Amino acid sequence: MNLSLALQIQNVSPDVNLLLILPELIVCTAGVIVMMVDAFARPRQRWMTGGLALVGLVAAMAASFWMWSGWAGPREAFHGMIVLDELRLGFTFIALLVSALTVLVSMVWVEGENLPAGEFHSLLLFATSGMMLMASGGDLVIIFLGLEILSIATYVMAGFRRTDLRSNESSLKYFILGSFSSAFLLYGIALVYGATATRTGLAGTTNIAEIANRLDVSLYPPLLFAGAAMMLVGFGFKIATAPFHVWTPDVYEGAPTPVTAFMAAGPKAAGFASFLRVFVFGFPFVATVASVQGQIHAAWLGALVVLAIITMTIGNVGAIVQNNVKRMLAYSSIAHAGYALVGFVAAGATGDPVFKSEALSSVAFYMLTYAVMNLGAFAVVTLIARSGDRRTDFEDYNGIGFQSPGLAFTLSLFMLSLLGLPLTAGFMGKIMVFRAALNAGYYSLVVIAVLNTAISAYYYLRLIIVMFFRERTTSWSAPRVPASVIVVLIITVLGVFYLGLFPNRVLDAFKTRPPAVMATR
Amino acid sequence: MLNLFFPALVFIWQQAPGGRMSDVSNSITHPDISKFLVIGALLFIIGVAGVLTRRNIIVIFMSIELILNAANINFIAFSRYLQDTGNANAVAGQVFTVFIIVVAAAEAAIGLGIVIALYRNKETIWVDEIDLLKW
Amino acid sequence: MTRFDLRDYLPVLLMFVVAAGFAVTNILLTQLVGQRKQTRTKLMPYECGKDPVGSARERFSVKFYLIAMIFILFDIEVIFLVPWAVVFKTLAGPEYGLRNLVYTEMMVFVILLLAGYIYVVKKGAFDWGERARHEAEAEARALEDLRKKELAARRAA
Repeated sequence: MNLSLALQIQNVSPDVNLLLILPELIVCTAGVIVMMVDAFARPRQRWMTGGLALVGLVAAMAASFWMWSGWAGPREAFHGMIVLDELRLGFTFIALLVSALTVLVSMVWVEGENLPAGEFHSLLLFATSGMMLMASGGDLVIIFLGLEILSIATYVMAGFRRTDLRSNESSLKYFILGSFSSAFLLYGIALVYGATATRTGLAGTTNIAEIANRLDVSLYPPLLFAGAAMMLVGFGFKIATAPFHVWTPDVYEGAPTPVTAFMAAGPKAAGFASFLRVFVFGFPFVATVASVQGQIHAAWLGALVVLAIITMTIGNVGAIVQNNVKRMLAYSSIAHAGYALVGFVAAGATGDPVFKSEALSSVAFYMLTYAVMNLGAFAVVTLIARSGDRRTDFEDYNGIGFQSPGLAFTLSLFMLSLLGLPLTAGFMGKIMVFRAALNAGYYSLVVIAVLNTAISAYYYLRLIIVMFFRERTTSWSAPRVPASVIVVLIITVLGVFYLGLFPNRVLDAFKTRPPAVMATR
Repeated sequence: MLNLFFPALVFIWQQAPGGRMSDVSNSITHPDISKFLVIGALLFIIGVAGVLTRRNIIVIFMSIELILNAANINFIAFSRYLQDTGNANAVAGQVFTVFIIVVAAAEAAIGLGIVIALYRNKETIWVDEIDLLKW
Repeated sequence: MTRFDLRDYLPVLLMFVVAAGFAVTNILLTQLVGQRKQTRTKLMPYECGKDPVGSARERFSVKFYLIAMIFILFDIEVIFLVPWAVVFKTLAGPEYGLRNLVYTEMMVFVILLLAGYIYVVKKGAFDWGERARHEAEAEARALEDLRKKELAARRAA
């Protein structure tokens, strides 16, 4: 009796560790404060909300940096609901950076469009906290909740320009397909929960580390396969892999441009974070192929290879025929998800911790480079589109190269970086991902990815040619560049060069440190 | 004929060992986990088919809710039956269900808000008339 | 097995008494303390905010949907109180001694809900608007005229 009681007490000890979710707490609190300020402030004080949001994001960044540099304590809290590892910290940093840059891009834009600034910024903060929870969740419950916090906020942001039919339509399409995919994910989670009950009488689990332990003693192995497949579909929708990508161009085109910038960089990275965590850690590599674990691993890895190939190809081929810059960038984001999936495959294909951590950090690095160049490109597109997002076609960029050289050159730089020209961030990101895949022995996959990069040269260079070598038939007045957007452009341009020239420091930060180092700290 | 109108009854009949009436009634009063999983799967299929074939936005919402509830039924069934297999602490599934219900409500509110915003600009709730964005 | 004992249900009885007492007290208090201002709109037949006379197939104000959606959210959020209430006594007991933690957690949740409610109120989601008020008054005036006319007709007859 005493023993069982003690066991129970140990089982129920709350394991609360607020320090481990400090960045999330800061962002959530900032969101609530921004909401309250918005409710009580007079209309002329609305600029405060953007500043408060920035303060919250910077504080969260400082907190996660503190966790990264000095933390040697528990690696998980709340009974494994929240985990702390380099995968989480890397993606947390990406989420915070994307959110901060989006705040800067949107500060003046929100006022110019006459949209409620406070609501926009609090929604952005809530979406950010959802992304961070997706990266830090060690349990399917947290990942699902983070996903929903993120998605619900993003649905609203996509339809933020209420009087614009395109924005409404984009929001509706995003909502229907987004909630459809979360429902798929959820059904998959339910099946996995049931399937991970063991023959020894333990009930099912949603803890990812625990799922990995129970694959071979599962009570209903077929359900595991079905559940993993449905989760694959659900995550595939979220990160826009190829058969599930059809919503992406419509949503990205219709949503307000700063929101598109956010959606292409942030939720995609967060989706990759939890996708990686669930599949690489939940259904890990095992040497014995005949076991259930080996079969399920081989199954999802094979599916991912196929997904990566289709995604890259459809993204690049689709981008060629577009006449709208936002739509072209949407297809390009599909293609980039495909390149990142190459690194994902490499991370899943190996059991060696060193190679695995290299592959994982390459995916995180790729998402960081993509976020930086993508946000820079969309910042320029926002400026050129003007109020109401009316000028987003290729014709609107005709011959602006020598009339607004600053904007045109920065946009060209981002295009070259997206293409993957040496010395830029895009190049280094691709190199890291491809190297990981080569280490894992996926030569043909890398060859296909390189061929796809060659295809992508067409549409990225096309925009540059349009800007510099086409005659402009309509009049052009250079857009006024607000100071906050100048800050964004400086940060992203410097980031493109820094990540392209000195990637090692960032890569090392994203890598799992050897346990010995952690112990001696 | 029976198969057409009472598929569930026929299913239970086939499941009962020997197909005797007493077994059938026993199987109805003490259903095993497969019944719940089948109901969950049926709801899931109805939901997916509804999302894919219906053109009314509200019906599509309802279909999505059906899928969520299919997952709920699975969670509850697993939780309850695995609790019976020994571990007295199998409440994770039930707690998950509470979260799903709340998330479903939030999604419903947001979805209806989006539909109202759309309806104000373009008076339609048919998805095939919402075709501004395409290639 | 515990035997059935009516005394175990004393708290339920107390709850009934308190609930009934609360309702009766409120009604009495409003009768005694509240000021009475009889406007036309107040004396109009109550029809859930709709005009009582007129076509049934007219469009509803979007305010109805707004309030319905807000109601859904706040109604469903309360679901979290149920599992909390189920385990509270056990967790707060001497076995676990987590009373402060569990209590604080729920209070934080309630405060967050309250913040949402304050936001909704400040944003004017419950504000029915001047125009609606004027319309209701016009309707009430029309109804009153109708009734006066009927009375006059009856008197004349």
